Amino acid sequence: MSKSDKHNHDAAPMVDEISDFEVLEVAVRELCIEKGLFTQQDHNEWTEYMHTLGPLPAGRLVAKAWLDPDYKQLCIDDPVKASLEVGIDWINSMPSKFGTPSDYCNPRILVDTPTLKHVVVCTLCSCYPRPILGQSPEWYRTPNYRRRMVRWPRQVLSEFGLQLPEDVEIRVADSNQKTRYVVMPVRPDGTEGWTEDQLTEIVTRDCLIGVALPRADRKADDKRPIHKAVHPYGH
Amino acid sequence: MPNAKEMTKLGETIPLLESIGKEGRVWSDLCQQYGVENPDPPWRVTLESTCEVLNEGACALPVLERRNEEDELSEDLYKNVPHPERQLLALAHSMIKKGLFREDELSVQMEKVYKRLTSV
Amino acid sequence: MSKSHHVEKATGIGDPQCFKGEASQPKFSVGDKVRIRNLPDIFYTRSQMYLREAEATVVKLVYESPPAEDEAWDNTDSPEWFYSLLFKQTDLWPDYPQKFAGDTLETELSERWLEPL
Repeated sequence: MSKSDKHNHDAAPMVDEISDFEVLEVAVRELCIEKGLFTQQDHNEWTEYMHTLGPLPAGRLVAKAWLDPDYKQLCIDDPVKASLEVGIDWINSMPSKFGTPSDYCNPRILVDTPTLKHVVVCTLCSCYPRPILGQSPEWYRTPNYRRRMVRWPRQVLSEFGLQLPEDVEIRVADSNQKTRYVVMPVRPDGTEGWTEDQLTEIVTRDCLIGVALPRADRKADDKRPIHKAVHPYGH
Repeated sequence: MPNAKEMTKLGETIPLLESIGKEGRVWSDLCQQYGVENPDPPWRVTLESTCEVLNEGACALPVLERRNEEDELSEDLYKNVPHPERQLLALAHSMIKKGLFREDELSVQMEKVYKRLTSV
Repeated sequence: MSKSHHVEKATGIGDPQCFKGEASQPKFSVGDKVRIRNLPDIFYTRSQMYLREAEATVVKLVYESPPAEDEAWDNTDSPEWFYSLLFKQTDLWPDYPQKFAGDTLETELSERWLEPL
């Protein structure tokens, strides 16, 4: 095997062209800085912070609560403190040191029961508990989801593959103000004797939004139908 | 705050952005062509940061205003553009409509950026 | 609009925590039945149209904060109590299926939006 062959085998594929969108994003950002709308430093701080965010801490919070009734009560009584125990500081780790203007510092954990299922939406602008759950998925931000989830929750949930009996109350939480909601689903069957790590793995982002129920055999969210691209390859 | 008259002008096309929306290569196409599996383009996070910092301090473009316009534009001018390209176009559109920079300034800046990125 | 109005006040404390104790005595308690007022909208509101004139039950007093309508104009002088309110879906939407009459919706509004039932 020649040296170049070996290199090709080991190299990960990468996009080898510069799109207009990539150029546009940089240009917008640079114009903003030039015009004094924000500083490069502010922007860098945010980017660094955003890179730290993801759904694992929220998943772990739920796993811990399943295993420890005292921690579960803490999640209800003092979610900021409960978040600290999974490494998330709603107040001090934000670039602003008082919570982000978009996320604030009032997390609230919505506890499901066998007869109460919560699901989260923000009809006004897709607010989301980013500090503990990461960036919101595209479908969560669409007017389609936001308008319909408050109005026809059972229909939207069934499109996500979730159908619940009539005697289960579906409670839609519309996060229109400063509170950010995370759903604590009911612990599924088939997880007896599991460790915190094992349980964390099955509490996926969709479970924490409330559109899916955790299952012992599922560690990743199902793919959601997304807006079809208009320029498919070969167009 | 934009008044009602300015808001109705949101639907007017901005030729530079319109042509990017129509002809620009979106991330999902690029992924298919190059066999890349990363679901998001590398600029997605920096775009989110831009949206955040515009909502801070002097608050040049507040979140609710930007999101309302993004919703409108996503159903109208940029409805055929996927996410996150759509969010980026909507952001640029809102900023131009608000007078934060001009279309021609953006065009000039894009040329500078393109030259820089392709000269490496 | 500026978001820097309360930087010093909130740093290390959090928002809405920094407004604790500033609102007057809450007008409503958990369990109270209220109706959502249909106040005229000035440009900016965080009170959804679909809630107007609906009945609700107060389920939680969540925090004190300047209402969004004031905060948008950089006015943080008069924080109000914010309430988490529970609505029946069948009250909000005339054609919500009766067989799912147990379904509910929970959302927050500041005190100015509520009147006693």
